[in-house]
Amino acid sequence: MILQMTNVKKAFGRHEVLKGIDLTLNKGKVLVIIGPSGSGKSTLLRCMNLLETPTDGQLSLGGVSLDFAGGRKSAKNAVLEIRKRTGMVFQSYNLFPHRTVLENIIEGPVIVQRKPVEVAKLRAIELLRKVGLADKADAYPHQLSGGQQQRVGIARAVAMDPELLLFDEPTSALDPELVGEVLKVIRELAAEGMTMAVVTHEMKFAGEVADQVVFMDNGLIVESGSPDQVLKRPANERTRMFLSRLTDTK
Amino acid sequence: MSDQSTRLWNIFVDSFLPLLKAGVLFTIPLTLISFALGLIVALLTALARLSDIRVLSGIARFYVWIFRGTPLLVQLFIIFFGLAHVGIIIDPFPAAVIGFTLNVGAYNSEVIRAAILSVHKGQWEAGFSLGMTRMQALRRIVLPQAARVAVPPLSNSFISLVKDTSLAASIALTELFGKAQQFTATYYEPLLLYTEAALIYLMFSTVLSFLQARLERRFDRYSAR
Repeated sequence: MILQMTNVKKAFGRHEVLKGIDLTLNKGKVLVIIGPSGSGKSTLLRCMNLLETPTDGQLSLGGVSLDFAGGRKSAKNAVLEIRKRTGMVFQSYNLFPHRTVLENIIEGPVIVQRKPVEVAKLRAIELLRKVGLADKADAYPHQLSGGQQQRVGIARAVAMDPELLLFDEPTSALDPELVGEVLKVIRELAAEGMTMAVVTHEMKFAGEVADQVVFMDNGLIVESGSPDQVLKRPANERTRMFLSRLTDTK
Repeated sequence: MSDQSTRLWNIFVDSFLPLLKAGVLFTIPLTLISFALGLIVALLTALARLSDIRVLSGIARFYVWIFRGTPLLVQLFIIFFGLAHVGIIIDPFPAAVIGFTLNVGAYNSEVIRAAILSVHKGQWEAGFSLGMTRMQALRRIVLPQAARVAVPPLSNSFISLVKDTSLAASIALTELFGKAQQFTATYYEPLLLYTEAALIYLMFSTVLSFLQARLERRFDRYSAR
């Protein structure tokens, strides 16, 4: 088991965004989180690498356990340790604009993992080849299309050899014709056995890639199970409504 | 040429090199040292103001309030004449450096603070998601991007400082303007000599503007904007 969340809550001021989340994720599995906007999907994902600090509950990731009960503050080292074991791909890519593609990818390995630059570069070039951007190593992010930038974002996260890779709506900012190239890369990573948690609105993709789908609404996990169960034969009324609205518009 | 214009020409020629020398020996070092130290003060102050620790941001705010809200000339007088009166005697040059550093540090801290805040939150998060500490994310990710935003206003304040150093003449530092005052006392030609001093300040700030433009171009290479 790589990730375990127990009764995780998150409030911004008096507004409770997560109202008690229980979740486990095993090694090599892909978890897809779906739900309407404002349901707390992204906040849940951001609690997994502590970009948001839960206001209650327990989180355990790759053997590091943290308890947030009573708004307890966690040790900085434990937070860093969890972040080192996770990678994140952002909706708006968040590449470093002042660094080339190659420099973006080696930044974490060199600065955080203290790998020799040459070693990190070799790995980065290998990863760039994998995401189909070997010829863009020396380009700056602004010279790339959105789909290319997001593929660099994925390479940057994978370069840290994370135990868990988080995707926060990785294709939502992309032009429709660029979505495919990014999903292809994520599919390949899933096929290689990377453990992943993905927030997405791409239901077809979710059905293909997920081992486990959770549907969130109003800060709670309303339904959880295999893609077949949740996406094709949802038991919960709210899940059904959400999915039917999606198919109506597509 | 009339006798008068020959005399003026001779005064101009005789005073030019000494004035330039005073500029090179005092005005420029005073500017460079004060600005460099002031940048360090400004960065620390900006970070203190952005910190979650109340006391720290309070101290920073107080410092900026004092040094932005009082005249630079008065600050110099307090440091040089005021402190001497209570037995803390500082030579004119270090006194000027202290005054200019604290003044320019207060102004530039606001520039740097705004520049840091202008960097998108997602950049910090991208750094954190790689396991970086706040310090690493600041140094590697945020400050390089903030620097680009800060260069034009910082250059402005640098050029202002070159000219403001003339105030040091009033605390017994014979820099460029002080030297011009000395010559004026000898030759009674204020129009000529002060215009000459102005000309040399203009030379200095023109060179600096040129360097600013080059620096900005360098920072522009990674941006489509």
